[in-house]
Amino acid sequence: MNSRLPEMLHCLNSTTSENCEMSVLERQRSRLKQQEQLTHHHPPIPYFNGNDHLAYSGFHGDQALSDLVLNGGAMKPDPGVEHDDFRRFMNYGTGTTDFQMSCALPRTVSCPPYVAAASVDSAAGKESCKKRKAHNLKIAAEEKKMKGCAEEESKITEQNSNSKSTTTTISTSANKNNKGPSANAKKASDAPKTDYIHVRARRGQATDSHSLAERVRREKISERMKYLQDLVPGCNKVTGKAGMLDEIINYVQSLQRQVEFLSMKLAAINPRLDFDIENYILKEMFPACPPAMEPDHSHLQFNTSVEEVSGSGLEMVVGPMDATLRRTISAPITVQQSFLDSSSLNQIQQVTWEDELRNLYSMEYQQGRSTPFISQQITGFLEANHVKLEM
Amino acid sequence: MAMNFHQSAIKTRFAVRFVQAMKRLNKRRGVTTTDSYKRYRATRAAACASMASAVGPQRAWSRAVLSKTKRRRFQAISRKRRLINPRRNLGFGQEEDLRGLVPGGKGMEYCSLLSETAHYIRCLQAQIQVMTDILHHSSSLN
Repeated sequence: MNSRLPEMLHCLNSTTSENCEMSVLERQRSRLKQQEQLTHHHPPIPYFNGNDHLAYSGFHGDQALSDLVLNGGAMKPDPGVEHDDFRRFMNYGTGTTDFQMSCALPRTVSCPPYVAAASVDSAAGKESCKKRKAHNLKIAAEEKKMKGCAEEESKITEQNSNSKSTTTTISTSANKNNKGPSANAKKASDAPKTDYIHVRARRGQATDSHSLAERVRREKISERMKYLQDLVPGCNKVTGKAGMLDEIINYVQSLQRQVEFLSMKLAAINPRLDFDIENYILKEMFPACPPAMEPDHSHLQFNTSVEEVSGSGLEMVVGPMDATLRRTISAPITVQQSFLDSSSLNQIQQVTWEDELRNLYSMEYQQGRSTPFISQQITGFLEANHVKLEM
Repeated sequence: MAMNFHQSAIKTRFAVRFVQAMKRLNKRRGVTTTDSYKRYRATRAAACASMASAVGPQRAWSRAVLSKTKRRRFQAISRKRRLINPRRNLGFGQEEDLRGLVPGGKGMEYCSLLSETAHYIRCLQAQIQVMTDILHHSSSLN
């Protein structure tokens, strides 16, 4: 193998000089062809071909980025075919952008999404500890916040701010490009929980899948705690999870006691209301409940339906007695009917309207997301060029 | 958190079911009129069951309540699920308290326990509102 290396180097250099103007894919393809030819010439090394393919598809992605930051000058003497291939790769890479794209391409296509996060300032020194993983994890469709650090990871991935390293920017944009549109659309439209989003570990955090999953779980828990905090009155003042849990427990207990108390009272009243309960309650439920409900309407969609029901109830009260009788005889059916008759049209309209609104929102959201992406990509490329010029 | 909670719809369904259950209770004169405590128990059970059936079986706590009411059919399944669930961690005291409070919370993972708690709280609020309305109305008529 070692005897073949200079030959390969030479060969590839020649192809480099030829293919300066070619696109990245073409270059890679031609290189692979060359290697195949070479292996054809040297049958005693049967596994070299596969090895090389492997190197191009998987290994190069990470190495390339770190080497890029080092600018190919101070290469570590890393024994092995892959690295040498790589140096060649480095040396003949004319435009940094093209080169980086060629690095990003195999990664996004074939390998697990390792993101070599070589920050520009620290890149000159070390090479080893700059790999970050971007893992696909099943979590809820919303953007999650990283719990461990104060900074929001998802924001970073969204914004791709300029302070971030160039390589990270490019690789993330490549990843996003890979499955960008679908992810955006799903996030925008309340997707089910089986979506993939990228969770990224920061420096110093564990990157194995278990701890990442654990982090996601913790995020979920804190999110639900926040929701509960909004739900339970007086929970906002309490700080700390223990206090919040105490408040929640007390609130649930008080609610359950309230239910018990109310059922006790109703049980006491119930036998006296033998004759009247049906009429009264059914008469009372529908005119009386909607005003009581209205303060805490969380969904606009149901406003109209309730109003319709209340309207029918009022009519019923004003109307003749047989209407009330009919109503009391078949209570659930009439309720269903009233829902269907009076408010189904409205509901459908509301639903479609809401869907349209949601689509609009999602479109806006996508637009809002996509434009920064493009700009960040551009800035990332510009930065990459800048880095190259500096070095 | 995206929560499909249509409180007014649940309220209406609960009201209808609860009134029906009360009617049924009134028809069973033998048990309910004699003992007030039994009547209270029956009313409470009716309230819980009608709330759970108004919510439907897509929530864990309502499933637990429904399985408690129809115990014979669901007993084996719930036992097994409780035993199998691997993510159940032995939490601190408060978590255990919360598990005891939310129906079906014994076998839940902590994360889903919290979401179930949120839903349960909202349902309890709706239940209390409807029951208060019924009580107010009947007392005002008397």
